[in-house]
Amino acid sequence: MSLHIIQPGLQTSIQSVGRPGLMRWGVARGGAADTFAMALGNLLLGNPIAHPGIEVALTGPEIEFTTDVSIAVTGARFDLSHNENAVPNNAVLNMAAGDRLRFGALKSGARAYLALAAEIDLAPVFGSVSTHLISGFGGLHGRSLRTGDHVPLQHCRYVAPRELPPQFRLDYRTRPLIRVVPGCEAGYFSAEALSAFHHGGFAVSPQSNRMGIRLTGEPLATTDLPQLVSSALCPGTVQVPPNGLPIISFVEGQTIGGYPRIAHVISADLHRLGQLQANQRLDFEPVSAHSARRILKEKTQLLHELPAML
Amino acid sequence: MPGSFTKRTFELQTNGDSALDIRFADAPGPDLSETIIALAQAIESASIPGVTELVPAYQCLTVCFDLLQLPDDGAGTQRLVDTLNELVRVQLTQPSPVAGPRYQIKIPVCYAPEFAPDMQALSNHVGLPADQVIRRHSATDYLVHMLGFTPGFLYLGGLDKQLHCPRKDRPTLNVPAGSVGIGGGQTGIYPQQTPGGWQIIGRTPLALFRPQRDPAFIARPLDRIRFVAISAQQFAETDPFAEPEKIPIDTAETDLANAGNIQKSRGARR
Repeated sequence: MSLHIIQPGLQTSIQSVGRPGLMRWGVARGGAADTFAMALGNLLLGNPIAHPGIEVALTGPEIEFTTDVSIAVTGARFDLSHNENAVPNNAVLNMAAGDRLRFGALKSGARAYLALAAEIDLAPVFGSVSTHLISGFGGLHGRSLRTGDHVPLQHCRYVAPRELPPQFRLDYRTRPLIRVVPGCEAGYFSAEALSAFHHGGFAVSPQSNRMGIRLTGEPLATTDLPQLVSSALCPGTVQVPPNGLPIISFVEGQTIGGYPRIAHVISADLHRLGQLQANQRLDFEPVSAHSARRILKEKTQLLHELPAML
Repeated sequence: MPGSFTKRTFELQTNGDSALDIRFADAPGPDLSETIIALAQAIESASIPGVTELVPAYQCLTVCFDLLQLPDDGAGTQRLVDTLNELVRVQLTQPSPVAGPRYQIKIPVCYAPEFAPDMQALSNHVGLPADQVIRRHSATDYLVHMLGFTPGFLYLGGLDKQLHCPRKDRPTLNVPAGSVGIGGGQTGIYPQQTPGGWQIIGRTPLALFRPQRDPAFIARPLDRIRFVAISAQQFAETDPFAEPEKIPIDTAETDLANAGNIQKSRGARR
């Protein structure tokens, strides 16, 4: 019982929520770039929200199923076909042994999640089967999937067909407004630089990866910024290196850093970073710590309410 | 040493919406690292609900927490701040020593030209022939201040001032795993093949990050690293997963006022 990779796509990997608790050893949490989208797929299948699945980025794979199993694709919108027939995103799909699922054109967003009504039968590393792509461990041989790979499955099952309620079908086409709280060194930036950061219309650089999302645009002034002694760098932190172009630390970001931090993406919006496409423009909206907590609570609450709505 | 604790000043500062930095005003050094690790252990022992990660650094201990696990009374974070403030105050006035063994860990390094692409540049910069660079680089114990950046990367203190050399203007795209480099006043080893801007003067055959093994990391904060020069043949014959030679450090000798003391105490132990 396995997923047989016919075409791998650009960066298709096994992911779950990653490995919290290892930053002190230099190991970033990693895991799914959009944990919210991953959770939606899992809930559709009756899985726990952190159940391991497959993350698909930008160019999707073609996969043959060697077993009967239910799946669901959430997150970025792809044209999907099941044995040449168009099938919907955000819905339970039943695959039979020998069936093929093909990811076609990407319509919006950047990363989709293929949730499985099955267990991925691989040995966890530090308690997780997530692939740490930058450091090369976890998942299948520590790398993204390749043509000919078999991802071993066990406990495969079918679940009742159902779809995500419309309010859960996320639309990634609008210009993203990412909410932030003030950075540790925000006070060192000029009022002009802070204003330019929030309304500068930075765009996502094609040089971005799971380590960091680099931004392009009009560089921020960095002349008066202090030299810092390196310390912990958490995901979502926006650092400004001497060239003035901000970098957002991402799921596999370095755990120690030393550039001035202008802002931190709020926990509730971290998952949205996973849907940014290259060259997409985005804005940052400052919010209070109180709002950051409220928004996270609301989003978490939504997930908890979903099973009853299916 | 306990006297020096009481003089420390610190402040708590948010690091995003789900982390707090405990920052110390003192200059980085062995003493401050000792304080920070002891504090991390005290916070760990306190088992504060919602705390998920502790990340020690040169001058700062970061406490990560799960926002939703804090009390939902509008003052959850403030209560965590109060708890941490109190723990730091206790640790500074009645410091508990760092628990657990610590080791001098011997890491074999081959400084042969095929593993040392920047030896000539470094040698020219510091005005010492390669054999002098090697002798000095492998003649001292380095203190592990912290791990971070990438899995298993060691931040080492105590580099001989004669060997300080600026980073490269342009980072090398693929520094091989195990490369030993000097960047400014720091020396260290790249655990994985990554881009890097340090001057590479050797390579260890040992894997610093061994995710399938226990321990997965070759050293812990407050351990000391000693580089041992080996030949290219020894390099070829070394199993990357071999256990490095580890010598327990007598806790009575761990009072390190500065990097210079590391060198003196090293002489006494050998």
